[in-house]
Amino acid sequence: MLISLNELKKLVKITVADDELFRLIGSRLVEIERVEDLAPKYKKIYAAKVIDCEDIPETHLHLCKIDAGDKLNAEIDTEHNNYIQVVCGAPNVKKGMMAAWIAPGAIVPATYGTPEPFEISARKLRGFMSYGMLAAADELALGTDHDGIIELDPKNAKPGDAIVDILDLNDKIIEVENKSLTHRPDCFGLIGFAREVAGVLGQPFDINYDEIEKTIYDNTATSKNANKLIVKISDYSICPRYAARVFTFKSLPERSPYLTADDIFLIKAGMKPISPIVDATNLIMLRTGQPLHAFDYDKFVKIDGSNNPKIGIRLARKGEKLLLLDGEEVELIDTDIVITSGDTPVALAGAMGGDSTKIDKDTKKIIVEIACFSLYNLRKTQMAHGIFSEAITRFTKGRPAFDIEPAIVEALDVFKKLGGENTGSVLDVNANIYDEKGEPKHAIVNITAAEINALLGSDYSEELIIKTLTNTGFKITRKNSELEIVAPLWRTDIHIKEDIIEEVGRLLGFDNLPINFPQRPFVCSEIDPMLAFKTKLRIILSDRLSANEVLTYSFVSKTLQEKVGEDSQDSYQIVNSISPELECFRQSIVPSLLDKIRDNEKTGFEDFTLYELNQVTKKAWGLNDEKVPVMKTQLGLTTFGDYYQAKYFLSELSRTMNLNFELQPIEKSSLLEPLHAAAIYLNDTQIGELGEIKSSILRQFKLTSTISALTINLDSCLSADKKQKTSIKLSKFPSVSRDLTLRVANEAKYIDIESGIKEVLSKISDIIYIIKPVSIFRKPKENHKNLSFHLEIASKTKTLDSKEISDIIEQVTNSLKTLGAEVV
Amino acid sequence: MSSLEELKLELKKLGQEYAKIKTMPEAERKSFGEKLNARKSAILTAIHKQEEIAESVNIEPIDLTAPFGENTKPFKPTRGTKHPLTTELDRVAEIYRQMGFNVIEARQLDDEFHMFDSLNFPTGHPARDGYDTFRTSEGFIPPAHTSTMQYRALTRFRDHLDKYGQIAVVVPGRVFRNEDVDATHEHTFYQCEGVFVSRDATLGQLLATWQNFFETYYGQKLHIKTQPGFFPFTEPSLEFQIEKPKSLSGKGDGWLEMGGCGMIHPNVLRTAGINPEVYKGFAWGGGIDRLVMLKFGINDVRYFESGKLEFLKEF
Repeated sequence: MLISLNELKKLVKITVADDELFRLIGSRLVEIERVEDLAPKYKKIYAAKVIDCEDIPETHLHLCKIDAGDKLNAEIDTEHNNYIQVVCGAPNVKKGMMAAWIAPGAIVPATYGTPEPFEISARKLRGFMSYGMLAAADELALGTDHDGIIELDPKNAKPGDAIVDILDLNDKIIEVENKSLTHRPDCFGLIGFAREVAGVLGQPFDINYDEIEKTIYDNTATSKNANKLIVKISDYSICPRYAARVFTFKSLPERSPYLTADDIFLIKAGMKPISPIVDATNLIMLRTGQPLHAFDYDKFVKIDGSNNPKIGIRLARKGEKLLLLDGEEVELIDTDIVITSGDTPVALAGAMGGDSTKIDKDTKKIIVEIACFSLYNLRKTQMAHGIFSEAITRFTKGRPAFDIEPAIVEALDVFKKLGGENTGSVLDVNANIYDEKGEPKHAIVNITAAEINALLGSDYSEELIIKTLTNTGFKITRKNSELEIVAPLWRTDIHIKEDIIEEVGRLLGFDNLPINFPQRPFVCSEIDPMLAFKTKLRIILSDRLSANEVLTYSFVSKTLQEKVGEDSQDSYQIVNSISPELECFRQSIVPSLLDKIRDNEKTGFEDFTLYELNQVTKKAWGLNDEKVPVMKTQLGLTTFGDYYQAKYFLSELSRTMNLNFELQPIEKSSLLEPLHAAAIYLNDTQIGELGEIKSSILRQFKLTSTISALTINLDSCLSADKKQKTSIKLSKFPSVSRDLTLRVANEAKYIDIESGIKEVLSKISDIIYIIKPVSIFRKPKENHKNLSFHLEIASKTKTLDSKEISDIIEQVTNSLKTLGAEVV
Repeated sequence: MSSLEELKLELKKLGQEYAKIKTMPEAERKSFGEKLNARKSAILTAIHKQEEIAESVNIEPIDLTAPFGENTKPFKPTRGTKHPLTTELDRVAEIYRQMGFNVIEARQLDDEFHMFDSLNFPTGHPARDGYDTFRTSEGFIPPAHTSTMQYRALTRFRDHLDKYGQIAVVVPGRVFRNEDVDATHEHTFYQCEGVFVSRDATLGQLLATWQNFFETYYGQKLHIKTQPGFFPFTEPSLEFQIEKPKSLSGKGDGWLEMGGCGMIHPNVLRTAGINPEVYKGFAWGGGIDRLVMLKFGINDVRYFESGKLEFLKEF
């Protein structure tokens, strides 16, 4: 929404500098996106009278002499007898008109502030010097019209007058972020906005709604109602209030050939002048926040064929179609609200009028509709038909039913001025919106100053609170210790004490609140064990094991899932996904990582490890106690290299996490090559898998190296019992080292041999040992392999001599013979 | 200066001099020995210098500006990387813990109740549309804000009200919005939510708490300012801004929007089984991605989930 500072100043006495005003509005009313200062944009643009205008042969151009006042005439063009020569291509340029002239050296306003500002110069066109240019509306950034140059009203402008003065462009335009006023429909009009600005400045606001209400009722009572309007609302929930007035014209007012003050008002608000009737409805909307719509009375009546307009408001029926004002035919949905003549839809309520009741040059009588509709329905209408007009923007904030009166009054005023006579009115069909006494229902909140101060942490006096709220239309009476606060009718957002507290805090400035800290007991705070665990894992994986942490999307494509053999049906599907790439909530991390390897290879990275710690889910896991999907936090890791590379990561994690992982042959895996993969168990439960990715899968990711993956469900690790930390024993006597190479059959398991050695050594009393594998060697095609170990052995009681060592080794080798191992 | 050979010869001769000590009268031995030692030390120093000069002649200069030496391969240290977002989330959680807040993590798939109903969004209210939420065919919602965890934070720590007189929780998490992606918009991003409830919580305390967080995070005193905002789950509702910190080349005139905050709506407390007549609360929440982007001068939010090592190796 665009607000003109000059218009605001007409309604509120601004007591602070502009910048301070913008700061106050920003901190106490609404987010300001930007403020545009118009004056510099229109520098060196003047009113100039066209004195002479001749066609330049064989072109569309005209050679003009203009009068921009003696001073400018003499200063700019010394050749042409005290006039300025300008070449103009506009078809409507004519002798005697008052035009807007952009002087040499000025920037074309439409390009002002853009990356390429266009500076007007004096230059030769078709052999004629042209000093500056006569401007069209679009060049002046006063509309989109480029059909001809704009014409100024000679009553308001004389040659040489600066355009900023004539067109009230010494102004600043405040662009408001609409979202930050979602709950304040009353602020979407100049009057409502100004009231809040007055409140922010600590001033009472002049425009008194109570009086306006009375006038309305008077008007309705005394109107002649020559044209009786029959209004039928099918359901008050879609249209709580519907008012209309009929205006009869002798002849419809015509558009002024000049750019008028009303035009400028509309343009500053970002709207386009169209015709006096439409402009009038828009002007009222901009002032009051209440959108209006005008129908051609005769066309309206003719559709139904009756004597008087039978206005119906109902939901559209499926399949109904409506040709709109903009020439587009829409197929209505069953949540659209339509205005009907009899039963025939003639307008899409709140959104756009219909073509069949459009005002044209023959219109003599109009019906002006002032109503409010359900924001829920209009919201859907807006989305379904893609209509984002100024009117529907206001309706979808929820127009208060009792805030239509100002527009009804203004309509009477404005259309009378245009020559219309009010020949029919209807105000209320729905009596239910009034209370038992027939009065409008106000929201009432009882609260004490102490309660207000308690929540804000402030120390405002009751007096200041009363004054502050009264300024913006609240009515307050002291009742015992409490304040009875009656909200104005336009405030549909006031319901509870906190709403009043917000008003006080906001209008007096949240930034003025005293800042202090909550008291805190000396209690150690907790951190989610999973968060702490993930932090620890990142240290191990990134800092210690040189892996690279990535984050990838939680949503993946069906294609990706198919590539790795996951069942997309088991994924939660996003119904409104941005693209098929982001359709399924992921079931595991590794596929997302595989998807990132190739691109990194292309940029020159080799032998890298990727990992991610994140949440995954699948339908098969079901719902938890809260009836939401069970989610698991998973570690996914991919690394260049074979099974043993992935196993290295697992064993390092096992060591640092103090968890006893067990590996067992994997039965089947869609992702891993079963003969080169293992299932990871913790306390007899499978918690993950590791191994080499099937080459058929790698090919689909355009990967040629061997890549292994590791997947661990971390929730199970968190809940598992930690194994006892190995107590490290050291001997004060020197250790002796021996290397031992054993030949075993190809099928022999490494773990059996290692356990065999350990078993013997453990039985020998008083010794401490360390055993490390050194190499596993097999010649191609041989059916046996050599396992080499390095042993460090020390006694706890003495220095071992070589005989004692040899005895120990012999015990080991003898025992291993039973396992089919021979010392080499 | 003597040559290296001469010096070595002199050292040899000096060695022979030591033999004389034995034949000397007792009284002279000490001073003679000291002289010899001093002389020896001087010769050794001179030899060392000579050797250094001689060796330096043999050392060829290298190109200090080259990335690696001649006839060697590019040096590739293996170094792991942590994602800047997770590192920063840890930092954020750590600061809040020091302030006394418990930390829990947000879920990544949630439902209408937690995302909207429990947060006082009226059914069918357009405010629900404002969050551009994704939905699954079952009606589950990948949450669009970490506020989806408020109900859980309040109920899980409700017993703290009796035990310690307050609930203090922050919730970092990944959130999702149906938005077109560009350099400043991502459909997937991170937020951190804060919730505090006590008998005497005030708006002033909320401002103090969040300000202190940012002052700690940026290591300097910071001015704050607010704007009126609108969230169904807080009343009053505010938008919170901080002065642009010096570390981000702030000069005291720029402001950074950090997120929304306010006093918890009584309906939200009531839904979570907390009596709003007795207890008051405040809540706040803001994005993490932008903190990280500002901190490291990252100009495109899409890098975060790109999985590109070229980007990640910077951290």
